[in-house]
Amino acid sequence: MRGGTPEGEDRTEQALVAAAQNDPAKFDALYELHFERVYAFVASRARDRATAEDVTSAVFHKALEHLPKYEWRGVPFAAWLLRIAANAIVDQAKRERRESPLEDDSREGDANGILHGSQMRGEELRAIEHRARLFRLVGELPEPQKQVIFERFVEQRSIAEIAGRLGKTAGAIKQLQLRAVQRLRTQMEGRHG
Amino acid sequence: MAKRSLALQLDEAVLAMLVALPARPEETPHRELPALLKIARELRLLPRAEFREGLRTDLQRRTRMSEGAAAQTKDLREVHYMRPGLTAITPYIIARPAARLIEFLKSAFDGIEQLRMPAPDGSIMHAAVAIGNGAIELSDGNEAYPSAPAAVHLYVEDADVTYERAMLAGATSIAPVANQHWGDRWGAVKDPFGNHWYIAKPGWTPGPEGVRSVQPFLHLREAHKLIPFLEAAFGAESLGVAKSPEGTVLHGTIRIGNATLEIDEAYGEIQPMPSHLHVYVPDTDAAYARALEAGATSIEAPQDKPYGDRSAGVKDAWGNSWFIATHLGTK
Repeated sequence: MRGGTPEGEDRTEQALVAAAQNDPAKFDALYELHFERVYAFVASRARDRATAEDVTSAVFHKALEHLPKYEWRGVPFAAWLLRIAANAIVDQAKRERRESPLEDDSREGDANGILHGSQMRGEELRAIEHRARLFRLVGELPEPQKQVIFERFVEQRSIAEIAGRLGKTAGAIKQLQLRAVQRLRTQMEGRHG
Repeated sequence: MAKRSLALQLDEAVLAMLVALPARPEETPHRELPALLKIARELRLLPRAEFREGLRTDLQRRTRMSEGAAAQTKDLREVHYMRPGLTAITPYIIARPAARLIEFLKSAFDGIEQLRMPAPDGSIMHAAVAIGNGAIELSDGNEAYPSAPAAVHLYVEDADVTYERAMLAGATSIAPVANQHWGDRWGAVKDPFGNHWYIAKPGWTPGPEGVRSVQPFLHLREAHKLIPFLEAAFGAESLGVAKSPEGTVLHGTIRIGNATLEIDEAYGEIQPMPSHLHVYVPDTDAAYARALEAGATSIEAPQDKPYGDRSAGVKDAWGNSWFIATHLGTK
């Protein structure tokens, strides 16, 4: 991918957007298509998981709300979503500052950084696409491997805890972790993103 | 030394990465390891499956009925068990007057006051000061909770500057800043309340998430016995424990959730300082039950608090109090 969506996908996406504009219940297809992309972008800039979830949630609600206003003028839907996300991150930073009035102004720079960052460079877009694809591939892992990845990396459980929960030995969990990461690596390298 | 299996090498590196600690260098690293770690680093940001599904359901509901969506979104984001701004382990220091300790934390460590809740008599019932990516919680305490100094390990950008600022803010020196054999540039001070602050600049390259700025440090008698207690109660994991030939813990780093604490065997002038620690866990009731089973005594049974946490308290065999909490929501 070269930082944008290939043309064929553009047309499919355009049809999906038009369908959702006519019938909001069809927004689901756009959510499925873009969740990982938006989350990958937000998570790389949010200070913690709770904030990343708050902001991602706000982005999709805003996108749903403003969907009737979206017009296809060569701006891919993904870019529109990421622009909403960049603004949501700025809003979040402002809200945090209001909630901590005792804080000094040192975060001003961050907010500005994000504002400037809304003019995203190709390199950053590629990194987001890469990470989003990895997130999608995790969802396609065989069941025990997928569970180990989520418990280890998301829940941050210890190997011993996961072993207890899955009724396996610690050694077996480490093997599953290895197989999962190896499989993801092969898949990520198989198709250059 | 025989080459360790790739599964072991990867797991050890993942463990270090999850807590942003330096991985022990492999003597004979597997050639596949760097590429796998690159994937592993990205996986740290993986979204929770429950969040993905929950938001999707929420949006679907909203397309069916436009009202009430806001409330549902709120429920959804409150699933996360840690209070924003706090990590899984936060030192809770009781000092009188706490207001002066807050001033010290601001002057010495660039602390940012996040919260101050006064008691009716004007004393501080509860306060929180952010330092780097961690925090210190504090209170004036009361009869049941008298002053309890603690030891805290801070990772900072410039240990020399921070040490000097701490001295200017009223601290006394325990050890001047110097390069240590384990690689850190390190010094130590005692504040006017008796708290120990170990100030270090890491001598290793931290991961992309940086280092944990704030780590409680427990000096204990028979320190090795604390590890099984923490494993049983909080699902903790020990990340490298250095022991003497006699089995005494020279230094140990223990992980709970996304944070770490350190322990060692008390000796000489460094004696036990029974401390208060605030830990966030996914299930307070379960952790409380496991802690009692592992030998702790109850301070307080689990209950929902008005500030949006479910919380409980236990005391371990060393006299440290563990305030166990699960964040339910901010409102």
